[in-house]
Amino acid sequence: MNKTISVKRYVPDNAAESYWQAFELPVDDSTSLLDALNHIKEQLDSTLSYRWSCRMAICGSCGVMVNGIPKLGCKTFLRDYDGEIRIEPLAHFPVQRDLVVDMEIFLEHLAAVKPYLIDDDPVKPFDPQAPETYRQSPAQLARYKQFANCINCGLCYSACPQFGLNPEFRGPAAIALAHRYNQDSRDHGKKQRMAELNRHEGVWSCTFVGFCSKVCPKHVDPAAAVNQGKVEAAKHTLIALFKGDEMNGEGKAHE
Amino acid sequence: MNKTSSQRLPPLKRNWWLKHRFFKLYMLREATVLPLVFFLLCLMAGMVALVQGADSWQGWVGFMGSPVVLALNLLALAASLYHAATFFVLFPRVMPLRIAGRSLPDNMIVAGQWAGVVVVALLFFWLLGRA
Amino acid sequence: MRQQDFDIVIVGGGGAGLRAAIGAAEAAKEQGASQRIAMLSKVYPMRSHTVAAEGGAAAVTSSDDTHQAHFDDTVSGGDWLVEQGVVDYFVHHAYQELVQMERWGCPWSRKDDGQVQVRRFGGMKTARTWFAADKTGFHMLHTLFQTSLKYPEIERFDEYFVLDLAVHEGAVIGVIALQIATGELTLLRAKAVILATGGAGRLFRFNTNAGIVTGDGMAMAYRHGVALRDMEFVQYHPTGLPGSGILITEACRGEGGILLNKDGYRYLQDYGLGPETPLGQPENKYMELGPRDKLSQAFWQEQQAGRTGKFGDSDVVYLDLRHLGEKTILERLPFICELAKSYINVDPVKEPIPIRPAVHYTMGGIETNPQCETSITGLYAAGECASVGLHGANRLGSNSLTELLVFGRLAGEQASRRAAHTEWADSALLHAQAERQQATLARLCDGNRSGENWVDLKHAMVQAMESGCGIYRTEESMAQALAQIRKLRARYREIRVNDASKIFNTELLECLELGCGLDIAEASCLGALERRESRGAHQRLDEGMQTRDDVNYLKHSQVFYQGEAPARLHWQEVDVRFSAPAERAYGDAGKGDKV
Repeated sequence: MNKTISVKRYVPDNAAESYWQAFELPVDDSTSLLDALNHIKEQLDSTLSYRWSCRMAICGSCGVMVNGIPKLGCKTFLRDYDGEIRIEPLAHFPVQRDLVVDMEIFLEHLAAVKPYLIDDDPVKPFDPQAPETYRQSPAQLARYKQFANCINCGLCYSACPQFGLNPEFRGPAAIALAHRYNQDSRDHGKKQRMAELNRHEGVWSCTFVGFCSKVCPKHVDPAAAVNQGKVEAAKHTLIALFKGDEMNGEGKAHE
Repeated sequence: MNKTSSQRLPPLKRNWWLKHRFFKLYMLREATVLPLVFFLLCLMAGMVALVQGADSWQGWVGFMGSPVVLALNLLALAASLYHAATFFVLFPRVMPLRIAGRSLPDNMIVAGQWAGVVVVALLFFWLLGRA
Repeated sequence: MRQQDFDIVIVGGGGAGLRAAIGAAEAAKEQGASQRIAMLSKVYPMRSHTVAAEGGAAAVTSSDDTHQAHFDDTVSGGDWLVEQGVVDYFVHHAYQELVQMERWGCPWSRKDDGQVQVRRFGGMKTARTWFAADKTGFHMLHTLFQTSLKYPEIERFDEYFVLDLAVHEGAVIGVIALQIATGELTLLRAKAVILATGGAGRLFRFNTNAGIVTGDGMAMAYRHGVALRDMEFVQYHPTGLPGSGILITEACRGEGGILLNKDGYRYLQDYGLGPETPLGQPENKYMELGPRDKLSQAFWQEQQAGRTGKFGDSDVVYLDLRHLGEKTILERLPFICELAKSYINVDPVKEPIPIRPAVHYTMGGIETNPQCETSITGLYAAGECASVGLHGANRLGSNSLTELLVFGRLAGEQASRRAAHTEWADSALLHAQAERQQATLARLCDGNRSGENWVDLKHAMVQAMESGCGIYRTEESMAQALAQIRKLRARYREIRVNDASKIFNTELLECLELGCGLDIAEASCLGALERRESRGAHQRLDEGMQTRDDVNYLKHSQVFYQGEAPARLHWQEVDVRFSAPAERAYGDAGKGDKV
């Protein structure tokens, strides 16, 4: 069976404006959108540019808009589309070429929230000669595991109107990652991260539209993370207010 | 990191929310505040009328009985129920509850909230019945 | 042309590259030196193929396990073609590296008491594989990437394609890279360079690998005279999804999954892996927990005997998990459920998963000494692109994730120490080499000449490799493949890129990757053809060559690049200082071993 997909093209050193190009190609029940793009590149038009790598929905490269909804190309199957299939680059990011967008701002937001384990004064420092792990119960692991499943594909940023309105908003994935470490029983960096989270461009830009969680291919539920972050941020503010000290917001006891 | 994200897109157009059903429902949720504001204004006017005396109070009661006001307040009731429904669904994601280390299923939390609504409503009708 | 100076340049941002970067940064701190570290990657680091590893990472963990046992499993798993000093170093440093990952936040799966949980894996005598559900590589890669953000001295060049090493008088002096977004060349002058560019699974048509696993770094070193070692050993993972080849982790079998042929029979008992172990009681080194090479070979035998089923166009056998129960499957193997449902519409809780072997891992690679240094001074290699000598003729599952930590760190530390007492070379030398690269690129993209199409050549290459260097090989099939690859290399000289744009020109990248692939494919075919015995993943059907021949072939193959002329092969002695070659046995046959 053949289907037609329309791809929004943009090659800045050839033409200043973007344009639509339609491709007709053979599909079967297992044809993913990524398979279709690869078919186009190899058989129909080798100049089409897009990112891809793992083809199993874990590397996060191949996000595009499919009929206006952000999706991973490798996890979108043409069998699920009857009418028109319109492919565009991810929304809310500057387009570099064809389906390739500039992800730098996303990387900046990720790095800004200190997404790594902070334990400046460990009970036992790591010693390669006598290596010892922290203890963490399955229940403690379960508190953050879901938020550690983010593959950084950026679909949630394309789904978030607040990021579209204000790209300085740290955004769903970055805040979910911050929350992942804040919830980790081994981490003691919450108050350092609060400086980023507890401000307008942090959690408070979110109005819980919730579309980010709908489009997330890994069920991370970033909207939940951001809004749990609001509760934490509010607590932080209250505690700081009572103690009169900005730095006393650390909520987590050694568990 | 030697790249800077100097490129910025123009901000979204005002009608961005008309593009998806999901965004329209979101805007509907946010818009529930408008009939609720009307309801609150009515309540405040009622209290002012109560202080001003019997005539004023009768006027307010008459105003509240007019079909347009009734319709608007019914709308406010529907809006508040819709808002509650959306809020209750979001609640367990914002405040996940754990009992003895195990998280409570979302639908149980949602059901609990509705049970709360029913209890408060019954209490209210009971008080109303005694008055 | 833009030039920047760094102490250490790391090519590749996967697990090994990131671990090397952090290792170098820590080593610099320890030496009290301030060193600039550049990490270049053709994709954003978290896209690297480490992300797709599922099962886990091995280290001696429980009190009843020993370094000797891990050593023995690895040596016999590799059919004695391993560097035993290297394996010894590896097994002794594995545990501390996994603990270090834990201290950096890796979400390892846990036991109820809060200790790290281990699972069984193929070819391992004891359960010693650490895991993070069935997304271990994903969690390790993201933990490393996120941890690397703590180090301002690590400067990332994301989406830079490294075109070539700059080498002068036997020492590496920098790299020449293409910024993919702009098409501009950048020179990075360096005192030490680490290659961490991953494997070459994309030489084959049917594989578990990501599109980026094209062997670029191997080709780069090879073209500068470094030997590619043991390239004939290519691992077929026994359980890939039909059609796509998407990986279904060995952890499925570690948790107790079984393999059935179309008659519902556990056929592995017929291939020296029995007797059959009871359902739900997997036993290490028996049946489904045999090594990957043996399992893939058993599939081939079943296929020949007509006992495989069909899924679409593919011959398949079945991986049955149902007896594990829904709870265990969803808790331990959630990603597998997601993959099977999405890509072949099978729910592992309710149905057996149809699977077939697919090319998975390149055991060979850039030859390094035990300190990860290559024959070019200052050039190091680590991870799948390297042949430090750990895997020999067959890699054991869950050794490679640990490898990229142990040897990534070592390479980083070595590079840092070297950089501390080395000066930069003269910039003019780099510029001269860069200009040659510029000319090559200009010719590739020259719209005024007609030329070969990369798509045709790529398809011909993967077809030749699959039919010539598959699970079982013959003299004739390999000779044909080698001749075909040499023909394709000649045709490649006339290749032409249609896309004239400088911006994000992925067709250009495809062509460059194909050039790398063809060069190393020749090394792989040549090694295979010249190795006239059967060992590990290299199995011949030819008369008199169906068994291991230690007298003539207990040797590493080394292939040397000769430009346009045919590559040359040498043999190199193997380090067998601790354990003399013995029969490699699994199931009951392996019971009497000291192993």
